[in-house]
Amino acid sequence: MKKSMFARLGVLFLSVVLLAAFGTVAAAKDIRVGGIMDTTGATSDVGKDYAIGMADAFKYINSQGGVNGKKIKYTWFDYGYRIPEAITKYKMLKRIGAVAIMGWGTGDTEALSPTVNKDKIPYVSASYSAHLTNPAKTPYNLFFSSDYSTNARCCLTAWFDKKWPNHPDFGKRKPRMACCYQFSSPYCSAPINAIKNQAKLLGFEIGPDQDVNLMALDTKSQIMALKAFKPDVVWHGNTVMSVAATIRDAYALGLGAAWIIDNWGFDENLPRLAGEAAEGAMGATPCAFFGQNVKNMDLVVTSAEKYSPGVPLGKRTIHTVQAWGDALVLWEALKRADAAGVDITKKGSGPAIMKKGFETMRNFDIGLGAAPISYTATDHRPATGCRVQEWKGGKFEVVEDVNLKKRWPDLWEKSEKEGGFFGY
Amino acid sequence: MKKSLILLIALLFGFGLVFSSCVTTDTPVKPNNSNFVAPKIELAGFEVPQYDGYWYIAKTVKPTKGEAGDRGAFLPMTFTFKITNPNVYPINLEEIKYSVVFDKSFMVMTTSDQMSNWIPAGMADEVKVTTLVTVRSALACLLVPGSVEMKKRGWENWSTLEKWWKGIPEGTVPVTLAECGFTFTAGDVTMVYPYRVDVQ
Repeated sequence: MKKSMFARLGVLFLSVVLLAAFGTVAAAKDIRVGGIMDTTGATSDVGKDYAIGMADAFKYINSQGGVNGKKIKYTWFDYGYRIPEAITKYKMLKRIGAVAIMGWGTGDTEALSPTVNKDKIPYVSASYSAHLTNPAKTPYNLFFSSDYSTNARCCLTAWFDKKWPNHPDFGKRKPRMACCYQFSSPYCSAPINAIKNQAKLLGFEIGPDQDVNLMALDTKSQIMALKAFKPDVVWHGNTVMSVAATIRDAYALGLGAAWIIDNWGFDENLPRLAGEAAEGAMGATPCAFFGQNVKNMDLVVTSAEKYSPGVPLGKRTIHTVQAWGDALVLWEALKRADAAGVDITKKGSGPAIMKKGFETMRNFDIGLGAAPISYTATDHRPATGCRVQEWKGGKFEVVEDVNLKKRWPDLWEKSEKEGGFFGY
Repeated sequence: MKKSLILLIALLFGFGLVFSSCVTTDTPVKPNNSNFVAPKIELAGFEVPQYDGYWYIAKTVKPTKGEAGDRGAFLPMTFTFKITNPNVYPINLEEIKYSVVFDKSFMVMTTSDQMSNWIPAGMADEVKVTTLVTVRSALACLLVPGSVEMKKRGWENWSTLEKWWKGIPEGTVPVTLAECGFTFTAGDVTMVYPYRVDVQ
């Protein structure tokens, strides 16, 4: 009897010890999320703010209890916009057990896509290339924003709707459109087919493309080449530094064309860098500018102050907001997957995070002035259109909210091969 | 009976140990936002831990071994910080986010070092972080975010890079740590403090 009592006490003691030990391990288990950012490379003019914004967002998420009580351990690296380095960093993040990765550029995201598919790790990128939106080809690639092709189509459509009717030649001839971008950059070239097809759809005459390097400071030769074509509107697909240089040169040389710009070239720094040449420039804005009065912007601004106090608020841009957009969709996906019983701390939980998390979102509202977000198992285009804004009189103004799906429902569903909008 | 008593005492002692370890992890004063005092952050040292000179090899040049590419000399930099914790409870230094600025205006890199570095109450600790830039990465900075300032100063990229690579190890080029954020945690409290210092 006594022996039995001591044996029971012994078992109880051992159980307490084991529970204490493993309980500590369980409580300490974080959700590993990786980040591959550009803070020193060719797109660091916009990448640094995005990287800082992303780190702010994860600190905020953890301050709110993380994912249903589980903290996110976010580890990020600068890869300097070099694809080999992005691949190395990706492998490292995979080794440390990242269940999702926040990526950056189109070149590296597209290069990593086959590996990501094989590893089944959700990869939320700052590349909004439409090539990444077809789950039949890239089932683990995601982003919160309208894709570059949609942005380009929307910008051209907004200019056609709102500006072309005021042109003296309206009704007399076709409008003329040309493109400036770095030919060799996957990011810059991603939406070029789309905008040209949109131009054909709307009845534009298309001029010769101009190769403008992402690091260009002098673009006079390209502007002189454009002068012969006399474009009414020029699409610019680079980031803000080279966009500003091109706009300045075009202004100085009297090109006289309007500018429509992809989102990474259209930010708060554009008017600072291009001065009065930026007046009237229009661009794709997948979310609000930093500090604009929209839902959840207060979280972005207060977190910027709290978590990056060394960076002046005046230097923060829309790219911080974009980072939050991607962080918030991941947060929501993880919350949904966790609530559905998925062990989101476990390596290899990617397929379940996709199925029970991301792909359950239907018109999910993240605020931030972004369009409602949907992902399905067959379509990762998060939004069906884009807000187009214009720099006018010292502030950004909405030109038009273009919804491609509503306006061209048949084309929205069709693939590129079928002459539609899907997948490029 | 005597043996049983000894066993019982041993078991109770064991329970006591387990539970006391849980109890003693709590600090007498619970950290909160209002009692958290800003730690003192000082730069205690700066060094270039390994110097490889100034060089750049364009991708058009075939290397003796390996693949060609646009590559330049590394410039590693180690910063040592002395952190003093004035709080009555231990604090954990979790992250140092910082940017390195050359010549007062050119932000050549931004990075973040994550760690778990507990500093006992009322004590100081030294923390080292090492980072690096290459001639190639610094060139990209001059060409993109630094291009406007370069134009304003009328400086040329390659001579600027050479001046930096030769002058920084010798202490003749200004180096600044800017836009720093030191993240500390204690209990459920997370505090981030800004920091900026002219290193040389």
